[in-house]
Amino acid sequence: MEPVEVKVSDLNVWIGGSHILKGVSMKAPPGAVTAVMGPSGSGKSTLIRVINRLIDLIPGARVEGKVLLGSLDALRADPYEVRRRTGMVFQEPNPFPHMTIYDNVAIGPRIHGLARGEELDRLVEWALKMAHLWDEVKDRLRDYPHQLSGGQKQRLSLARALALKPRVLLLDEPTANIDPVSTVKIERSIMEYAKTTMATVIIVTHTPQQAARISDHILFIYQGRVVEYGPTREVVLHPRHDLTRKFLGGEV
Amino acid sequence: MPDWRRVKDRLFTAATVALALLAVAPLFHILATVVVRGGSVILRGGVSFFTDPPAYPGSGELGGVGPALLGTLWLGLVTSLIGVPLALLTAIYIVEYREGRLARVARVFTSSLLEVPTVLIGMLVFLVVVVPMGRYSLAAGSIALAIVMLPYTVSYVERALEGVPRTYREAGYSIGMTRAQVVFQVVMGIASRGVAAGILIGVAKVLSETAPLLFTIGSARGSYPTGPQSLLEPGDALPLLIFQFAQTPYSNWQDLAWGAALLLTLIILAIFTLLRLLFREVKL
Repeated sequence: MEPVEVKVSDLNVWIGGSHILKGVSMKAPPGAVTAVMGPSGSGKSTLIRVINRLIDLIPGARVEGKVLLGSLDALRADPYEVRRRTGMVFQEPNPFPHMTIYDNVAIGPRIHGLARGEELDRLVEWALKMAHLWDEVKDRLRDYPHQLSGGQKQRLSLARALALKPRVLLLDEPTANIDPVSTVKIERSIMEYAKTTMATVIIVTHTPQQAARISDHILFIYQGRVVEYGPTREVVLHPRHDLTRKFLGGEV
Repeated sequence: MPDWRRVKDRLFTAATVALALLAVAPLFHILATVVVRGGSVILRGGVSFFTDPPAYPGSGELGGVGPALLGTLWLGLVTSLIGVPLALLTAIYIVEYREGRLARVARVFTSSLLEVPTVLIGMLVFLVVVVPMGRYSLAAGSIALAIVMLPYTVSYVERALEGVPRTYREAGYSIGMTRAQVVFQVVMGIASRGVAAGILIGVAKVLSETAPLLFTIGSARGSYPTGPQSLLEPGDALPLLIFQFAQTPYSNWQDLAWGAALLLTLIILAIFTLLRLLFREVKL
């Protein structure tokens, strides 16, 4: 599978009359983690929901601009095709409560007819290992997720997304409500997935610390506008913009 | 000197308890009467109470409510076959396709249906089904009951579907599911207990309905609906039998009405027990 660069140009989004994203342009290269950071309400979540077209589900949303996933024009393409190539992890852990742990991971490959039988077993194992959850659940794959802790549920959500081997992985503050041990495991998974499969990973975070720990590039958004974009080291150590400096210092 | 505040408090408490008892007294009276009078009839009749047709009026013999019981079971089955898919699809349409104008119309119509007297629904089916067919039939009764069932089941299923948090729908779409896959594999799966409850409540509701049957199934006292072909024949049902036999001057028919009343109560009770069991464990 070939690497896919995500390229957003001059993106404007309105939801019910309010202008959420104002001319956002950005790039996220394959094989790397790009962190989108900014205070809450700055439009970070909206940005990644445009990339996988979940924005279509929000009533009254209007989108202008261009989003490219490699050569795929995401805003013109069939939304189901776009979502199939992208994976997403949400802020709230949301494994399907009526499906077993195994089925939660297998559902994606199943609905797209990608694997079955032993091949599917191997894929499920691979995804759970990639999400650093395998050792904790390998003996209870037939159990339901309500017996898992919040952090384990989130890693199961991650495994569900990974099972489709998405070329683009989107994460919307995946560790905001998660215990520190699971947070470390999720961060490690994300970095490993990007490096080993040359996937493009975009993670929304509201903590500069997380951005600094795991990302290769940082995009800082404030009130719907891009304030600063660059390699993580540069943005953290030598922010060019005053707002960035304040955000990093916890003042915004 | 007496403590007036305490006296007033006691008086108020006593009045509250007395009124509460007054409110539940009729329920206990009804249940007790049905159990005592119906119970003795069923014990006297034994197995033949459930299987035999009613004896001749005033003959002194009892007979049974076999045809009416079988009729009620058929009505329950056929009503569900018509009403459940209709109600499920309506509820899904109302909740999952709410942006459409038609969905709002459907919601208003089904909830208005709740306020239509069920006897009118019986008359409508009489005009639209019974008259053209030229005869009463269990099928006509089932159609009337399905219409009565619709708003109850729709509103329960609607609430169950609405109770599924948005994040699960987003998760479904995020792995490339189509809208139909999200509805049937995710939303319906998570809401399955609520959906089942809506169906059971609808069935329990219609099984005890009398008015929609008055103009639709006729009262074929002696014929057993044994197979699908009997659906096009007139039939009988427990609530209808109770309504009609209780008003006759024949003591053996009045006894059958009491027995049928207990039987119907037990059927409804069984459905609600099933509901309770279904709802004991809900984990999200």
